[in-house]
Amino acid sequence: MDSHQEPVPGKYSGDGSDIFKLAMVTSLLTLVTAGIYRFWAKTRIRKYIWSSVSFRGDSFEYTGTGLEKFLGFLVAIVILAIYLGIIQMVMFFFGLNFFAEPETMEEVFAQMAAFYLTLGAVLPLWFFAIYRARRYKMARTRWRGIRLGMEKGAWGYALRAIGYWILVILTAGILTPLKTFRLEQYMTDRSWYGDARFTQGGDWRNLYPAMRHIFIALGMLVAGGVCLALELFILGVVGFIAGYLWFFIGIVYYRVKSFAYLAENKVLDGKVRFTSEPRTRTILKTVILGGLAVGALAGLLFGIAGGSLGASMTVDPETFQPEFSPAAIVFSVVMYVLALLVVGALTLAFITQPVIQHIVETLTIENPEDLDDIRQRAYDEGADAEGFADALDVGGAI
Amino acid sequence: MRHPEGPVSAVFFDGETAARHDVTVTVHWQTPAALIIDGETGALPQRWQLDRLRALSDQADRKTLVITRVADTTDETPRDPARLVIDDPALREWILASRPDLFRRDLREGTRFRILTRGVGAVVAFVVILFLLLPQMANTLAMLIPEEREAEFGRATVRQMELIFGGEDESLRCEYPAAQVVWNELAERFVDREDYDAPITVIVLDHPMVNAFAAPGGHVVFFRGLIDAAESPDEVAAVMAHEIGHVVARDPTRMALRSVGSVGILGLVLGDFAGGGLVLVLSEQLLSSSYSREAEEEADDYAIAQLIEDNIDPSALAHFFERLREEYGDIEGIAEKFVSHPSLSDRIDGAHIAAVDVTDPVPSLTDIEWELLQASCSQRDNPLSRD
Repeated sequence: MDSHQEPVPGKYSGDGSDIFKLAMVTSLLTLVTAGIYRFWAKTRIRKYIWSSVSFRGDSFEYTGTGLEKFLGFLVAIVILAIYLGIIQMVMFFFGLNFFAEPETMEEVFAQMAAFYLTLGAVLPLWFFAIYRARRYKMARTRWRGIRLGMEKGAWGYALRAIGYWILVILTAGILTPLKTFRLEQYMTDRSWYGDARFTQGGDWRNLYPAMRHIFIALGMLVAGGVCLALELFILGVVGFIAGYLWFFIGIVYYRVKSFAYLAENKVLDGKVRFTSEPRTRTILKTVILGGLAVGALAGLLFGIAGGSLGASMTVDPETFQPEFSPAAIVFSVVMYVLALLVVGALTLAFITQPVIQHIVETLTIENPEDLDDIRQRAYDEGADAEGFADALDVGGAI
Repeated sequence: MRHPEGPVSAVFFDGETAARHDVTVTVHWQTPAALIIDGETGALPQRWQLDRLRALSDQADRKTLVITRVADTTDETPRDPARLVIDDPALREWILASRPDLFRRDLREGTRFRILTRGVGAVVAFVVILFLLLPQMANTLAMLIPEEREAEFGRATVRQMELIFGGEDESLRCEYPAAQVVWNELAERFVDREDYDAPITVIVLDHPMVNAFAAPGGHVVFFRGLIDAAESPDEVAAVMAHEIGHVVARDPTRMALRSVGSVGILGLVLGDFAGGGLVLVLSEQLLSSSYSREAEEEADDYAIAQLIEDNIDPSALAHFFERLREEYGDIEGIAEKFVSHPSLSDRIDGAHIAAVDVTDPVPSLTDIEWELLQASCSQRDNPLSRD
């Protein structure tokens, strides 16, 4: 550790058109197999992204398989089906349901209660699935032939996640840094690379500077409110709009900065350290410009789908009912589904991948030589291979 | 393509430590042909048989080839944890061109059986949940549900129906007190009070559809179209007896409970995949139809028994259905599964057989009572639903 070591920055070699093609092919296969292929699609895209990430020329490897995901999903949905079926029925029994339009205040409250109870029943499973999914991803990631891994602990995570979220809600968001820090710490302290353990250092209070723009946004909203109260109408509205937009910037800023802080305070094997310097500006630019580009293209494709249907419409002169030719309906349905697939693939190529690229390329391993004597760890079955996460629709793009 | 002469440099990870080993690779032709991996550090040299070589797929960097080999491990795939990273273009091209099995998946023995058992297991589990567990639970809960809550849910259902047929601002309800008295008396005649002690509410909706249904909590709803289509009071009485059969068996509540449970589950299985919503609705319809077929037959049996007990000719049920068939045609084939009532001809046959048992039938209502029923909606002036 005393000897001087050259820090290694991360490199990302993935290519936009490659991943777009891969995403298109796999999502078409998913479409023609009625969704079954999605497990293999996800696997192939991860293999591509993992292999794009390298430190000093050594790429990551994703070793998960579509088959294990599929089998894990089968088990997870059976368990969820029993659980949710019973929950729904019991709630209905106690007069809490979404069937009818609420008419009295009492019914409105009953429906709200039903909504939160369903949410409450699913929430522990949701957090459980988040931890399990990360554990599976870690267990199927290798670098230099050595496995990463994570200990069991999904229920412990679910319990803590619910506890910290309750704290966050009770304090109107003030304790968000505590939640972010402790939950990440729970996962990091159970993470391994080979026989080397990660530990999360740092202090949750140091995440408050990352909240800065959220507080600024809240200030704008309060100022807007004050202006309205003083009947400065235009100023108030401007304050509200600016505060609203600033709030979203604040959220992105918080996520980027808290990620960087948490990454820089992770230590592997008591000696390997990292630096992380992602820029909020770059991420925002990627998300906004990428979002506009994808949105414009999506608008065009959905426009063609809807327009072709509209163009084929004739109105029955007697009943005034609109009529469509079957060919036009088929064409626009096909166009609509294709547009959905294209949007998914474009999002991956124009937003998700560039964001990952930026995160990776601003991440540095400070003392890489200390990694050399880390030894292999045992194979982990990976539990449900994300079955619960898939069934509950947990987790973002990859 | 010729294989590269002489040793080629490459990078090797032995799968035991994270150290990176600079190695040389030579193709060795002595059978079985192999790559000889040699270097200063690590557990080397190693001999990797050519026919056991496998490459990683879907890699971003096309200029390098990451090689591993088939090995009998307990890992997710039967692969040696060691990796050989080849940058040399000649060696890479040669391996890619000469090794047809390079990207083979190598499923472990018993994998197919595992897929089959898990797949069948999941399907069986779902059939058990949807057709045994949830219905059983629905039956139990339907008997336990408090009367007041059931009635409340019934009112909400009827209101929902009115919204569907009438729209937001107008009530379709026909409220003619004199007719209501006759309706209530008619309903009460067919309630087996030993089985059912909650109140029965009859509602008439001003809509031309020829239909009637039972809603949870003792609600029976008649559409005006059905009363107009009936040629004798016995026909309306027969329909009433049938719907009361549903009420007494608590079919509507049971079915509602079942659908709540199964809709959630089907959504889960089909996921949010494109078009899933439509499939969801169709499947749910199929399901509730298969529940109600047996329930319909039981309600018919109940109705026929009640009619005979009351000395009303049950063939009224048959006559009515026969006329409906002449007017609207019968539904056969695949479409039949999508409507919630059993095929009309089946029901007519059932009603004909039952007709034999009544020797001295009396009309179900007096002429005055019948006229009152027919005038149920006369108090309303609703141009929209008059035809």
